[in-house]
Amino acid sequence: MSMGNDSILDAYLYETDGLLEQLDSIVLAAEQADAFSNDDINTIFRIMHTIKGSSAMMEFNSLMTIAHRAEDLFAILREQSISIVPESLRPELFDLLFQTIDFFRQEIDHIQNGEALTDNIDTLLEKINSFIAQINGTAPAAAKEPADSSEPAADAAPHGFPYGLRVFFDEGCGMENLRAFMLVTSIHDICSEEDFTFEPADVEHNAASSALVAQSGFTMHFRNQADRDNAIHSVTGIGSVRNYQTMDPASQSAPAAEEPAPAPAPAAAPQAAPASSASASAAPVQPAAPAAQSKATPVKTENHHKESLISVSLSKLDQLAAVVGEIVITESMVTASPDLKGLKLDAFTKSARQLRKLTDELQDVAMSLRMVPVSATFQKMNRIVRDMCKKLDKQAHLTLIGEDTEVDKTIVDSIGDPIMHIVRNSMDHGIEENVEDRIAAGKDPVGEIILSARHTGSEVIIEIRDDGQGVNDDAVLAKAIRQGLAFEGVEYSHKDILAFLLAPGFSTNSEVTEFSGRGVGMDVVKKNVEDIGGSVTITSEQGKGMTTTLKIPLTMAIMDGMEVSVGSSIFTIPIHNIRQSFRISQKDLISDASDGELFKCMGEFYPVVRMRDLYQIEDGRVNVEEGILIWLEAGELSYCLFVDELLGEQQVVVKPLPSYLNSFNIKRSGIAGCTILGDGNISLILDVNNLYQGQ
Amino acid sequence: MEDYELQTEQVQAPDTADDTLCKYLLFRSDALLFGAAADYVVEIITNHPITPIPLVPSYVCGIINLRGQIIPIVDIRIMLGQMPTNRDCIIILTINGMLVGVLVDTVLRMIDLDTATLCMSPAKEHQRLVSGMCSLPDGETMLEFDCANLLTQA
Repeated sequence: MSMGNDSILDAYLYETDGLLEQLDSIVLAAEQADAFSNDDINTIFRIMHTIKGSSAMMEFNSLMTIAHRAEDLFAILREQSISIVPESLRPELFDLLFQTIDFFRQEIDHIQNGEALTDNIDTLLEKINSFIAQINGTAPAAAKEPADSSEPAADAAPHGFPYGLRVFFDEGCGMENLRAFMLVTSIHDICSEEDFTFEPADVEHNAASSALVAQSGFTMHFRNQADRDNAIHSVTGIGSVRNYQTMDPASQSAPAAEEPAPAPAPAAAPQAAPASSASASAAPVQPAAPAAQSKATPVKTENHHKESLISVSLSKLDQLAAVVGEIVITESMVTASPDLKGLKLDAFTKSARQLRKLTDELQDVAMSLRMVPVSATFQKMNRIVRDMCKKLDKQAHLTLIGEDTEVDKTIVDSIGDPIMHIVRNSMDHGIEENVEDRIAAGKDPVGEIILSARHTGSEVIIEIRDDGQGVNDDAVLAKAIRQGLAFEGVEYSHKDILAFLLAPGFSTNSEVTEFSGRGVGMDVVKKNVEDIGGSVTITSEQGKGMTTTLKIPLTMAIMDGMEVSVGSSIFTIPIHNIRQSFRISQKDLISDASDGELFKCMGEFYPVVRMRDLYQIEDGRVNVEEGILIWLEAGELSYCLFVDELLGEQQVVVKPLPSYLNSFNIKRSGIAGCTILGDGNISLILDVNNLYQGQ
Repeated sequence: MEDYELQTEQVQAPDTADDTLCKYLLFRSDALLFGAAADYVVEIITNHPITPIPLVPSYVCGIINLRGQIIPIVDIRIMLGQMPTNRDCIIILTINGMLVGVLVDTVLRMIDLDTATLCMSPAKEHQRLVSGMCSLPDGETMLEFDCANLLTQA
């Protein structure tokens, strides 16, 4: 197995992964509808074809072989429409497809980890073969040739054009379709249009064909050998050609002719005969070469309204964001320069305002680059729910809400596993074993799992809710006691008991199942989510179901903050945590028994936290009359914070603190991150919740 | 700030640049002369405002904003148990991809040093931050600054 160039391998993995995801969602949707539309079949055919082509190029033989058979299968479906598969065989078809997808995934994993590919692919191959045989049996008219052909249709030489030439362009040279078209134009100069054909035929107008050209090369067929030899000169003359290969009639005719070839084209009778039989065996219904091609190509390009995308490495985006952040700061440093004080500069102010507008826009664009919708992660759950329904023999339906919610790319990557764990838990422990139990409880026999995402100010909230049996407090408590997490005789509240679910080593399922119950479920979820600065909460009502909520901060998000000063330090408090601020006098403060202070507001008492004391800032103000009291709220927590001064509201860019500082538990002491102020100084962003808990 | 010209002087100058020859940046903290392997050194900055961080050990002075990057600063005087002073010379080091600033008294110069002349420091105790030592031609003793383990010192 030659690994080739790493960048080619990367491109291959990236692309194949994307194709598999697409395949997964098509098959899932089709299974729900219990039918494939023609578009689906065409798309699947195309995907299989691409995987086959690129795997062959990378010499991943197992992938190529399986993709090839699957492609054959869909070639039949494409010709004969889905009706060829009887109702009774449909579930088998879907299972087969899922198995194929899983096989591809597994092989891709092997490749990624540098392991050897699976040699033994006979079982899957056998399944596909027997399925093909089955549907062929049901439709004897359906040509068995596609199944037997060793060359895909696109590779076969069309009638009368026996001399093939396939050109591969440099990897990543871009616009392969236009390069191919340029080649066609230059070949027009040396031979007439009737003397050669090319594939894909729509390179001039269809940008999507460039992927195909990049994958499987650009194939031309010539009537005369001399023309082809001339064409080779043109090929070597234009730039960006990696290599080319010639395909002679002899090598094409390898598969024995299975049906009589149609009358060969008179112009090139001797050479054409074996070639045309090859083409006939590959595509039984091709009436004539040009027509067949014009028929085949729209199929390949239909439904391909993909936005033109490029993949950029994340580190480049980080760099961009950093530079943009600096520009924004430098801009305010320039416009607020002390040198300008007292000067009347109309033109300057005008240009400065314009600059401001542009930098704001630049910042927005730079931020949006890293944001991706969560839909890809969410879609994967469909598959998990489907598989588990089958395995556990339960009925459940997954509803996705807010799939287009956008989150930072790094966050999307790290929430996939936690969500999967929770969904599995819901399927395994949440949804009732027996449908009767659900009916008896007055619920829909089909369980429901709702996966939703939404933005709130500075956070993304992801909720996984099921309508299953909920958490049985007594069972959880008993288990927690057995695991040594709880103590007998101690009163635990409902909330305390739910917290046990997130404790390390806790798994309520007494039996380890394939999907969950290894005891490493929820605490890993909790850790993963906390690693990206988020939090996990569980709520549950017995008999009604369970809801797991992940609150995840948007890193690099822009946040509205209130700048406050304590001594010479400046802190930023998220605006959404602030309820009100007060100027008070000493007599408004009430002392409590534990030497704390309380402030009475609207009939309620709130504890007072003095920043000066909490953070030991010696130059902070002591006299309450000189400072200001801010009433803060975070979740159920409500308290007052005493600071020196309010400096004003500002939009800030949240930056994470250096990871070195995390070793000092700085998050616990109420510092969520920092931001760079207009003058280049740093302000620490407070986490209102941890600030109070940490004191 | 006496000397900011980082001219390079050869110690035990073997012309055949063999691979044991390393560049070191000499700096002073109180009475001690340290050398940090130049591979770790990113840059030297002065006069940068440091934002203090509450509730961390005293040797963590705070963070600075270096052209948009947030970099933590540690004061090795406090780490070494020396009296803190008012200095503002920071050496930015990159340690395992993480940037850290070290507050020092003064930065002296770059030298080429044959690492074969480095020896382990004999004393076992109170040698945090020091991974070896050697004599310089002018008679002074250089302590090799233990960059790799700086972040694990607590």
